[in-house]
This record gives sequence, structure tokens and C-alpha cells, in this order.
Amino acid sequence: MLDRPLSPPPVEVIVAVTQALHREARLLDNEDFEGWLAMLGEDIGYLLELKSRRFRADRSKPLPLGPGVIFNEDLGRLRLRIDRLKSGYVWAEDPPNFIRRAVSNVEVLATRAENEVQVHSVLVMHRNRIDGTTRLLTAGRTDLWRSEGSAWLLAAREIVLDHAVLPDSNLNAFF
Amino acid sequence: MNANIADLVDSRTGRQSRAIYSDEAIYRQELERIFGRCWLFLVHTSQIPGPGDYFRTFMGEDDIIVIRQKDGSIKAFLNSCTHRGNRICRADRGNARAFTCNYHGWSFSPDGALAGVPLENEAYFGELDRSKFGLVPVTKVAEYKGLIFGCWDANSPSLEDYLGDAKFFLDVWLDAMPGGSALLGETQKMVLGTNWKLPVENVCGDGYHLGWAHAGAMSAVQTMDLTGLSVGNSGVDLDGGLSVAGMNGHMVLSALDGVSGYAFYPDPKPILEYLEANRQTVIDRLGEVRGKQVWGAQVNITIFPNLQLLPGLNWFRVYHPKGHGQIEQWTWAMAENDMPEAVKAQILENQCLTFGLAGLFDNDDGDNLTACTEQSRGWRTAQMDVYTNMALGRSGKREGFPGDIAAGLVSEHNQRYFYRRWQEHMMAQNWAEVPTYNINSLADQEAEHA
Repeated sequence: MLDRPLSPPPVEVIVAVTQALHREARLLDNEDFEGWLAMLGEDIGYLLELKSRRFRADRSKPLPLGPGVIFNEDLGRLRLRIDRLKSGYVWAEDPPNFIRRAVSNVEVLATRAENEVQVHSVLVMHRNRIDGTTRLLTAGRTDLWRSEGSAWLLAAREIVLDHAVLPDSNLNAFF
Repeated sequence: MNANIADLVDSRTGRQSRAIYSDEAIYRQELERIFGRCWLFLVHTSQIPGPGDYFRTFMGEDDIIVIRQKDGSIKAFLNSCTHRGNRICRADRGNARAFTCNYHGWSFSPDGALAGVPLENEAYFGELDRSKFGLVPVTKVAEYKGLIFGCWDANSPSLEDYLGDAKFFLDVWLDAMPGGSALLGETQKMVLGTNWKLPVENVCGDGYHLGWAHAGAMSAVQTMDLTGLSVGNSGVDLDGGLSVAGMNGHMVLSALDGVSGYAFYPDPKPILEYLEANRQTVIDRLGEVRGKQVWGAQVNITIFPNLQLLPGLNWFRVYHPKGHGQIEQWTWAMAENDMPEAVKAQILENQCLTFGLAGLFDNDDGDNLTACTEQSRGWRTAQMDVYTNMALGRSGKREGFPGDIAAGLVSEHNQRYFYRRWQEHMMAQNWAEVPTYNINSLADQEAEHA
């Protein structure tokens, strides 16, 4: 088996992908949803599963149909969410909320595919809503980024949200 | 306080004082007279299928563990060590042979018995009577077709009597198909800065907000007609549905088309196929009215005080009060066990899409409910009233259905009955003073036909 460790990706790749993560955060902060969609692969999988707080030694069986999700989106479903946000009828987002994303702890790892890298990162999302209520959400992300021509596209993202109880009355935001 | 409560709600005119959302003394009284007295939903049997399976929940602000016993029965206890009061279980759910307190190591078996005390002989000199220090059980625990409820009041009516004619509608989910029902997925928990009554009111009767508050979501995913409700609240078909109340404080909204529960599924086809393949079975079990018109339709069921379930949209929800003006909203997807796995999976998926934590619809409601609460707290607003006075006096009997019924899903008929029930409980010293009513009861209708 070719099981020897993969060499780290070239520095240029690490820089390009890290820059893509920062650019993505800026586009979302600015509600440039079309710009963000253009950074996604056609086959994007965008997943945030529900979880529960369980004892380490818990012996219970997995749930028959799985945990359920907060997001389980393909490109069409992300577009559907964005169409709703842009419909002019989402009163919770008007006036717009102040939202800022900070991306950190970026680790770019090689995969077996030459044009793909796995990327771990942490997202801190600051949302200042309505009359000044501030919510801070943190999440871990594991991505697959793919190089297509001169661009890096997000091909898959698995999000882990660090909150057992969502501390806000909506999640009209992407991680 | 009672004179005050009498003045705070007028169900004949549909008036509520905003103090019922903002006055902390009223909230403390609700914990006693509503959450301390009514039957409260604890768990669905599907969530704790095997011996030792447990689920943590709340009755009012009291932390509860519900545990499946070795003999298959279900017991519920306060999640509090009888020694110094510490929480004994900090997990949401799981399977356990015992619960051991983190503080001093007292250990309780699933039947609530105090099974182990460290240094029992050395430090207590063998003089501790363990039989007096078992976990405190919920006074009454009972099941209705898979739904487990608990009640603190020994003098409450039986669960069957408490549910009354609301069972007619509950059975449209619980007993439509022979395999019964289940809840799916992990608990979807959200904190909301709202008084607990406002989300109950929103779902128990308020079809009025749908086409306006949820216009963005409707424009994104609506694939079928729902009693003429449309984006921008531009139309409504009052003949297409019913607002049913006057059933011991329980309320139902129901469309009558047998399919519109799935109006907000981007691809409802597989579920519509399941409905049509099994409709005759349901007609045989529940009769023509429920089998043809209600099963599959948009149905909102509210069991007083804090349980709401919507067969069709398939979300099931309880609201736990978390102090004055704050709640946790807990949601699960609901399915029938006879559904093919692919249909169940689609239901879980769609429930999360529409009424999950990032739900296209759910994310429209939170800010409205929070703001209604906040706008009851000002020095001036706390002295003001709010109104549920739509379609006053336009209700009556409908052949084949229980309850006092107003036409359509857009009415404020149900909300008036919700606040009436709230007031009845808040003014009553005990269960004997709480009126029981099943208006146009099914039993009376049967007697008339006999």
C-alpha cells in the first residue's frame, strides 16, 4: 500500500487557500452572497449536524435516522436560503445586523488528490443584532478545497457548532 | 392576586394586559398554578426504547430525568441529589445502570433508590436510612399512545380526562397507522428572550402571521396551496380549515384537504405517495372525516400549557420557561413508524430545513416573540393591553368535530381560549376550582345520534 505520509502542500497553496478563507468571510460579512456562491464547487456539501451532550461512557445506541441537522445543503439548497434572504421579506435582517467573522487556526493538509486540500479552521462569528444584543458563536470547520483553473473552490464543509443550546433566535447566517 | 388576574384577561373581548408577559410575580405564580398543576409532556416512548435508557427534561424550571425501567415501565424523578441538592445527571440523554452524584458520590439506581453512599459505615456509622433518601419521583406519570406526561398534582384529572377531546386530533398522528409514532433526531434547542405564552399563542391559533411574517420562507419553498394563504397575506380561504378550541384549554388548527401539511416541502411527492397508499387504512381506523380530510393536512395541535405538535410539517415542540421572560424551545421531527425509511429521512430533513435551528420559517418568529415581550416591560407599555379580537363571536358547532369552532386558519378564536384557560388556572387555588369543559363533546354528539 502507498501509505507513506503525504508531503505538506506547497507554501503557495497554503497562502492561496488561507486567503480564500479570509475572502469568503469578508464576502459573507458584506452580504455579497453571489460572490460567495461563486467560490463554491458545483458539488458542494455543506453540513452542520445536531449533537447532544452525553456521558463519555454512554452505552446508548445511535439514533435510528441519525442526529438531524442544522444545515445539510447542496448548491441548490444554499441558493434557496439565499433567495429567501434576498426576497425582501426577511424582516429579522432589516435593518441589517452587524456581523463579523474571524477565521483562525488554519491548517492546510495534503490529500491523495493533487488538486485538493483538506483545511481545518475555526470561525468566530460576532453578531450584533436589533437593539445592540450581541451573540458570539464559535464553530470548527473541516473543509475540502479544490483547485479549478486559477481559483480554489470550496467542495465540502463540515461544521461543528460549539453550543448545546443555540443562544440566539435565528441562524440567518452561514459559517 | 386573584382580583388582579381577573382583570388582566378578558376573553369575551379578546383583551390581555401586557403585564401577563412582564410581571415577575405573575411568572412565579405560573410556575405554581400552571407548571406545578398541569400534565406536562416529558418524553416520547421512542426516545427511551430500552431498559436503562434515560432522557433529561424539565417541568417548569424543575430538572427531570425520565428513565425506562427493567420491566419496561417508565419513571420520572427530580434530577437533584437528596443529600445536598446537586444535579445528578448532566447529560441530555443516554443509557445508564446508575446515576452518581459528582459532589460526594451518592449513587442512585434507575428506579430512584439510593443504592450507594461512600463511607456509609465509617462516617455515617451505619445510621443513614437509605430508604428515606431515594430520588423524588414525579407525582404522576402516565402515557397516552407513546406520549409520556408527568404531573405534580395528586388531585389532577387522569391524563385521558385532561386531554379530553383533543385526543380526537392527537390520534391523527398517534393512531392513524397501526405502527404508531416516533420522534426523530437529537433535540433542537434554542434560547429565546420571550415569555413562554407568546410562542404557544403564535402556533395555537395564529394563521394570520403566516403569509406576512413567513413571506420570505413561503416564497422559497411553498409547493402547494394551504387554505389560500399566500405571500404578503393577500388572500385566505376560510372554508378550507378550522380553528378548534374549548377543549379543556387545548387548541387545534386544521386544514381539511388531507395533503397541505406537506405544502412547505420542496419535493412532497414521496410523502404524497405514502399518504395515498395508506389513506384507506387510516379511513378504516379513524373514519372518513379524519382519514380523508385531516390526516396529511396542515394540523397544529396545542396541549395546554406548553406542548405543540404539527403532523404534516412534522415538528413537535415544548417550551421550557427559564426564568422571567426567557425560554428554551425544544424541537424534534415526528414520524409514523409505518413510513418507509426514505420518507422518515425526508421528514427529518425537511423539519430541520423549515422549523429547525436554521429553519426557514422558524427563524422568522423568534425576533417577533422577543420584541412582544420586551415591549411589555416599559413603564408605559406594562400598563397597556394587547388584543386577540379577530372574528369575535363567530364560532359554533361543526358536525363530526369536537370543540367550539371558528372557520379557517386565520382567526384569533383559539388564542382567546388559550388565555381564558390561563386565567382559569391562575385564579384557581386547586384543581377542584378549575372548570372542565369539552364544548360540543364527541360523547354528547354520539348520544344525540343514538
